Amino acid sequence: MSYILSVLVFFPALAGLLGFIVKKDSIRAYGITVAAIEFVLSLWLWLSFDSSNGGFQFVELIPLIPQFGINYYLGVDGISLFIVILSTFITLIGLISLTIENNLKNLIVSLLFLEMTMVGVFVSLDAVLFYIFWELSLVPMLYIIGYWGSELRIYASIKFFLYTFTGSLIMLVGMLYLAYSYYLATGTISFAITDWHKLILPYDTQIWLFVAFFIGLAIKVPMFPFHTWLPYAHGQAPTIGSVILAAVLLKMGTYGFVRLSLPIFPDASVAAIIPVAILSLIMIIYTAMVAYAQEDIKQVIAYSSISHMGVIVLGTFAMNVEGIAGSIFLMLSHGIVSGALFMLVGNIYDRRHTKLIKEFGGLASVMPKYATIFGIMLMASVGLPLTIGFVGEFLSLLGFYKVSPALTLLAGTSIILGAVYMLRVYKESFFGPLTNEKNKNLTDLNAKELTSLVPLVLVVVWLGVYPKPVLGPIDTSVKSLVELMEKKAITKEAKELFSTNRVELEAK
Amino acid sequence: MMEPIKVSLESLNLITLAPMLIAVAGGLVILCIDLIKENLHKSLYVMLSILFLFIDLGAIIGLDVNERGFFDVMLIDGIAILSQIIIVVASMLFIPLALTSKRFHEFSLPEFFALFLFMIAGFQFMVATDNLILIFVGLETASLALYTLIAMHNREKSFEAAIKYFTMGALAAGFYAMGSMIIYALTGSVELYKIAEVLADRGYEPIWAVLAAVAFMIAAIGFKLSMVPFHTWTPDVYEGASAALAGYMSVVPKIAGFIVAIRFFEFLIHSDVTWVRDILYIAVVVTMTFANIVALVQDDVKRMLAYSSISHAGFVMAAIMIGTTQSNSALFLYWVLFLFTNLGAFTMLWISRHKSTIWHKRFDHPYEKFSGLVHIMPVAATIMAIFMLSLAGVPPFSLFWGKLYVMSSAVNAGYIVLALIMAINSAISAYYYLKLIVYMFMREPIVDSNTVYFKNASLSLKTIVGLSAVATILSVVFISPLMEYITHYVSISGF
Repeated sequence: MSYILSVLVFFPALAGLLGFIVKKDSIRAYGITVAAIEFVLSLWLWLSFDSSNGGFQFVELIPLIPQFGINYYLGVDGISLFIVILSTFITLIGLISLTIENNLKNLIVSLLFLEMTMVGVFVSLDAVLFYIFWELSLVPMLYIIGYWGSELRIYASIKFFLYTFTGSLIMLVGMLYLAYSYYLATGTISFAITDWHKLILPYDTQIWLFVAFFIGLAIKVPMFPFHTWLPYAHGQAPTIGSVILAAVLLKMGTYGFVRLSLPIFPDASVAAIIPVAILSLIMIIYTAMVAYAQEDIKQVIAYSSISHMGVIVLGTFAMNVEGIAGSIFLMLSHGIVSGALFMLVGNIYDRRHTKLIKEFGGLASVMPKYATIFGIMLMASVGLPLTIGFVGEFLSLLGFYKVSPALTLLAGTSIILGAVYMLRVYKESFFGPLTNEKNKNLTDLNAKELTSLVPLVLVVVWLGVYPKPVLGPIDTSVKSLVELMEKKAITKEAKELFSTNRVELEAK
Repeated sequence: MMEPIKVSLESLNLITLAPMLIAVAGGLVILCIDLIKENLHKSLYVMLSILFLFIDLGAIIGLDVNERGFFDVMLIDGIAILSQIIIVVASMLFIPLALTSKRFHEFSLPEFFALFLFMIAGFQFMVATDNLILIFVGLETASLALYTLIAMHNREKSFEAAIKYFTMGALAAGFYAMGSMIIYALTGSVELYKIAEVLADRGYEPIWAVLAAVAFMIAAIGFKLSMVPFHTWTPDVYEGASAALAGYMSVVPKIAGFIVAIRFFEFLIHSDVTWVRDILYIAVVVTMTFANIVALVQDDVKRMLAYSSISHAGFVMAAIMIGTTQSNSALFLYWVLFLFTNLGAFTMLWISRHKSTIWHKRFDHPYEKFSGLVHIMPVAATIMAIFMLSLAGVPPFSLFWGKLYVMSSAVNAGYIVLALIMAINSAISAYYYLKLIVYMFMREPIVDSNTVYFKNASLSLKTIVGLSAVATILSVVFISPLMEYITHYVSISGF
């Protein structure tokens, strides 16, 4: 099946279109079935994936607008493979856990369209195609936040849309300039990312383009100081919206760094290590502190989400195999863990219609299963060893340790701060006496909720104990990425950095 | 002693005039039919207009490229053919909008259709010549017909709009005449190619006279293209005209204006006189940005679309300022894509139009009217949302490709800052397009009967909407051949 990627991209969209015809009371079953098929397809992709190959596989290339170098060009490597699987997995889990009844059909169709755009972003190897899916993902998300969200939903959804849209347009100008630079260098115009990987750009050009791409990607991540849309979006979005946003959509930004910024502008990226690291540190520490001050459980998780994204960016900009592979692994684990946490908040919100910490207390005695799963996810979020959260966080920080021990030490506080605010939430809502009368009769997790949460717990533990099947392919592809960057490096600093990296690798 | 004038029929090359003559003949035939038998149904006139335009289209496609005719005043180059095709096709798509299920006064008059065809002939003259006088004749023929068409819409607001447009148009005509006069005084010619030669030979001296001429011309063309600050008539006139005509005005007269602008500014931009470029640069940036900002605060969708079309015109004017083959091709691509999207958007307004204003004491289409439309008419709301997304430049909908090409031509010509300004303007514009989407998708309906919205719909209107929706959504399929076609015609005209 050589067109598996096209099938993966367009199957959910087609299913979404057909979904309009499905009757209202069957739409949930339809949505889950479609998402399950899509998930199985993505697992099949993994099975047929050749882990020893660091390059792109299942490549499809059809000229779309040949005069302008735009192609329908798809492919996956170890870096994108697992993010694709994460997208299909989270969509499936999210659909299972769905509790919204209001206008369900439109919601499920939107989610299926969203799934198309998510998979599309991660398998596109043509910049314009990438951009199409990237922008298109805003539309269903706008609708999901704006229609099913809470009071300030319209403000939040428009803010989300406009922030990302503005950033992406600046990135688009960068893409156009890059295509033009490619034209100047080779005489043909091309938007293929793999072609751009081969292009060696002058240092000044790299810097400008890096900045243009950085703005687009950083808003999506969201890096400090472009992060202000995220707490609103999370705060107002329905559970499913928060889950997808935190688990997958934010990863588009960090994925963009790995796929575009690093290999296309290696020298500019090396030059940007310290500034980006400082922004990431602010992001890590500042948002962790803000998280501590929140009174709403969901906002705590939203801010903790930003804080962890900072670690991912830091790992990416370590520019060595450990750091980049670690940050990609952290993208996966953050996706699973934050998705699960938002789902857990959704469960309690469905019961009590409030998310304020002070409304709860002593929940562990009435909802033991809930408290257990929440506890496991919390540990994973903090980065406890033997959970999925540890592997990525450790590798990212290890990678960056080689660049700057001092900054890594500061970044390491994320683990402590994370423990502080998370444990506070846990202590205040789950332990102690049951103070609030309204909580006395809460029911524990039901079968549907367990079906959606248990797989996540299993993944958290499985990959925490034995990450190799996932880390292996990531490592292989990251190695070829770093080799590519080394080959392209033109400035002295970049060359030095990459050669010390290589010496260490060979010594192992 | 004067030489006797000898004119051979061959040198007249009358075939170059054929398309316009067909349109004029069509108008006359419609008038004659009305003379013979009164009170015929408007569908007859609509279909006759389409048929004449079809023959007109055939005549245009059959023209040879780079020919001159009729005492050398007609110039059939690539862009003349391209723009005539766009004008005629756009007219063929807009005229079926007259077939509404409600009776609107102007469409039951045969004069409407006759004037419509005369107007098209005027636009065709405007684009198929580089003679300042013939441009003027075409411009006035078209404009006078258009004023009348607006006024035929039998409402107080329409008379106001028509008078406003007429007054402004007369002023623009005055500016145009003044500018032409100065140019003639400078160069002794009204043919643009000769003017370019003469001006280049004498090094654009005296510079103040050239400046004055250019200033008058910018004002005149600026009125027609509704460039800021000559845009003030646009929203009021669009508001007063019927939605169908407003949509038409946002596309067809502008493409004719763009052609004149290309012809007039092309040699100036490529000359050493850099201030022409600077003035245009400022005009373009101001038009884009100002119109966008004003559009943000509109309460009426039609007025919002009016300001949005000003902003789009500024965006496209940038292509003329850049002045490369790529940018000029991008202009045509943009305008073709814009034609379909805007046609769709205005038709949607037209479908939901009532004879009296029931939603708001002044506006026909306030935002509130569209509240919760998705619950009442899901398909219509989705289509409208797609038009809005396309106008905002969200890929893969049609105008994204237009923006991509225009911005790319700016980048390739070294105008990085301009490209960034365009990007930021697209981001600003997203807000007011989103506002409509927010109303349609995220609010609760205020009237829950779709017949209220569907009052004016008829099969032909739905067909037009369907056609534009398909063109907007599937544009990626035809971008490549379209671009090839356009680039071919633009490059053989030497632009």
